[in-house]
Amino acid sequence: MGGSKVTSFLRKYMMLIATVVVVFVFYYITFGRTLYPMNIDSLISQNAYVFVLGTGMLLCILTGGNIDLSVGSVVCLAGGVGAIMLKNLPTAAWPVAVIAMLAMGLLVGLWHGYWIAYVKVPPFIATLVGMLAFRGLANIIMGGFAVDVDNRPFLNIFGGGDSCYIPGSSIPDKLAPYKAGYINWKTTGKFTTNADEIRATIAQLNAQIDGRELQGRALESAKSTSTELNMLLTQQVNVTCLVVFTIIAIGIVVYTFVNRKRLIKLGYKVDALSTVVIKTVLIALVLEWFGYKLACYKGIPTALIWIALVLGIFAYITTKTTLGRNLYAVGGNEKATRLSGIDTRKVMFSAYTLMGLLSGFAGVLNIARLQGSTPTYGVGYEMDAIAACFIGGASAYGGTGSVGGVIIGAALCGIINQGMSIAQTPVNYQKVVKGIVLIVAVLFDVIMQMRRKGGKKKATSVVATEKGGAKA
Amino acid sequence: MNKFSMKNVLKKNVMTIALFVIYVFFVVMAAALKGTNMLDPSVVTSLIEQNAYVFILGAGMLMCMLTGGNIDLSVGSFVCFAGAAVGLFSVENDLLNKWFGVWEMQEVNGEMTSVLVTPATPLSTPVVLLIAVGIALLYGAVLGFLIAYVRIPPWIATLAGYLAFRGLGTQMLTTASTTNAISNFPKSLLNIFSGRLFETPWGELNIPCLVFGIVASALVVFLSFYSRANKAKKGYNADPFWYVVVKSVIIVAVIMFLTIEFALDSGMPVVVLWIVGVLVLYGIITEKTTIGRHFMTVGGNAEASRLSGINNKLIMFAAYLNMSILTVIASLVVTARTGAANAFAGQEFELDAIAACIVGGVSAYGGSGTIVGMVVGATLIGVINQGMSLIGVDQDWIKIVKGLVLLGAVVFEIQSKKGNKKQ
Repeated sequence: MGGSKVTSFLRKYMMLIATVVVVFVFYYITFGRTLYPMNIDSLISQNAYVFVLGTGMLLCILTGGNIDLSVGSVVCLAGGVGAIMLKNLPTAAWPVAVIAMLAMGLLVGLWHGYWIAYVKVPPFIATLVGMLAFRGLANIIMGGFAVDVDNRPFLNIFGGGDSCYIPGSSIPDKLAPYKAGYINWKTTGKFTTNADEIRATIAQLNAQIDGRELQGRALESAKSTSTELNMLLTQQVNVTCLVVFTIIAIGIVVYTFVNRKRLIKLGYKVDALSTVVIKTVLIALVLEWFGYKLACYKGIPTALIWIALVLGIFAYITTKTTLGRNLYAVGGNEKATRLSGIDTRKVMFSAYTLMGLLSGFAGVLNIARLQGSTPTYGVGYEMDAIAACFIGGASAYGGTGSVGGVIIGAALCGIINQGMSIAQTPVNYQKVVKGIVLIVAVLFDVIMQMRRKGGKKKATSVVATEKGGAKA
Repeated sequence: MNKFSMKNVLKKNVMTIALFVIYVFFVVMAAALKGTNMLDPSVVTSLIEQNAYVFILGAGMLMCMLTGGNIDLSVGSFVCFAGAAVGLFSVENDLLNKWFGVWEMQEVNGEMTSVLVTPATPLSTPVVLLIAVGIALLYGAVLGFLIAYVRIPPWIATLAGYLAFRGLGTQMLTTASTTNAISNFPKSLLNIFSGRLFETPWGELNIPCLVFGIVASALVVFLSFYSRANKAKKGYNADPFWYVVVKSVIIVAVIMFLTIEFALDSGMPVVVLWIVGVLVLYGIITEKTTIGRHFMTVGGNAEASRLSGINNKLIMFAAYLNMSILTVIASLVVTARTGAANAFAGQEFELDAIAACIVGGVSAYGGSGTIVGMVVGATLIGVINQGMSLIGVDQDWIKIVKGLVLLGAVVFEIQSKKGNKKQ
């Protein structure tokens, strides 16, 4: 019994554990550079599209392992249209451009949905056509040239440039001197919060670096220590960001316990109190840490709010609405779903329509972050979205997967990508690693499923023989 | 039973007729708009040479698709990787020197550095070809194992290959040479996959090529009448005599057209032999052998095929092993044609191969499809590509048109199947 508990725990939290391990590995390899506040911040803004597209891809995958290969091209098409509109419309009219981009995505979604759900064109072919055709269309619309976007309000709202953060006053970071002191202790053996002494340490490190006294890992280590100490000396925190994350963390704790009480009252079976406490406290701590890191940089990036909104809406749709449950039903057993009176065609149609809409929205975020659009944007985005889903535990045969999984999958992909770039791994090897991670994630899923099925098969065969015996 | 009727003939050959119409259309348009002669020997030869890889990869993709609409997304990247690997061993380069060259520590400008004393010797062509086959077998076996026995969905397994091999191939080429490409391949290797047989000056009629064409035509005529006679003797429903005559005349006309074009353009391209070899081999496998029929049975109804004693897993394994071997052949053909292995080789080849199959009437759900259909599909897309660029249509529009042709072909196939069921 104990053994099976461990395996079920592993199965449930495998990817979470993997994420933690990966974070520590890169922390070690890069001398902590991956966890610098600005890197945490860019992890969010650089991967915003993965979260958004991954959510859409999840809907398609849920319906039976179907995918959408066209998302990269659609991001480029919607982004191109939006960039041109933003350039030619008056500044205040940016909402028109946003609506146009969403409409563009929606239209593409309807087009795919029609062919896939009603004409029964296999999804990979229909979306392959979309991948070719919409990339071509985007290039035609943009005339093969890059289009810059300099619409300030638009950029600020959707997360581009330097001022796209939730405003708030900054105060000096009270924790920073202690951390600096700790690092100082590690390098010189003396704990101090005195800024001058820390400056002396930095000077000493820089002298070592310039004097070519160090080589290899020691040199890299000295460089990062010097940078980090410099950073900590002037570190400021954004109050709004801290407050918001604290409120969210407290909110989660309160909600969990109130909900638990309610469930107990209603007579549901709930997890043991100790488990719930540990889980909730861990979640709250991670959130708070994350908020602190963002606060140390520039505060909450606006892109994060959009990601949270999309993830929240689709977490609700997939878990609490009929449409969401139908997506799982179609992926689990299409025939049974159809026979139970659900219009499976409509479900497929909705999945691809929503995917299109989200691709359009990813286009919005994309041109905001990159402050413009070029005909090559979005190449390979479909791969990132698909990888995020599978790493996040979605089944390649449909029927299982969750928005929470997509968050972990997208984050893990992002962390690996960023960690490798910071560790200066050649781009080509990054591709190899991505491929291997994808196959390992799916392998894990397939093997787990085989085991479960193997167990079930045995059980049913036992039942069958018993029945046979009774008849005889 | 399948009674012979004009309607059936048209229905069966709709893509071939479409190909003919589209070809004539582009010939006329190119002549009218740009004054380009699409029937010029060099244009026709380049149509075949440029699309050689589509025919070869299409044959492999057909086998995969037959087993149930399964595809291989990794072929393009594997073409790049295999090209890089072949280049690595057959031409002297930095990476080969790093591995097998003799290095010594020497003092250069006051600092100790290791210096290459004796460069590595590239391997001989037969050994390189053996290595290429080895790589193909290795990747094919791993891929086939993952797909057939571990049951990882094909498109995910091959998606991983798509990412990994592009990365590996590019990395190999960037470390091997500062230009990110390997060229100067030995003639002995290039001549196996490119160039002309018994080359003669341009414009002169190449006799060996003509002989080859005439022999091929005679063979086709003989086989069609022989098989008809055979069918009639055994009491099968044979096509009417006049139909066989017309069909043979058309096929002979096509063969002789190509032969004369090649003969005028310095002789038969070597790559044509590879194409014909692959197509004939796979045509026979799919149409005439038990194993070939098994591919279709698995795709048609996997459960029934398993119950009737067919080893479904082995068939799936074979499909992907086979795909990887053909991919390496395609890689060699492409590398030989361009004379270099570069990081961009093979981009979107998987799409071309899939499109050729789909346009050629191969079912996207598996179970049905023919080599002849695939050839028609590949040629159709090749003609559209070439015709549109000759007329001066933008690359982006070509992409859109290609996409729509693909969609149209699938919808047509689905609709006609629906119609069949209703009957």
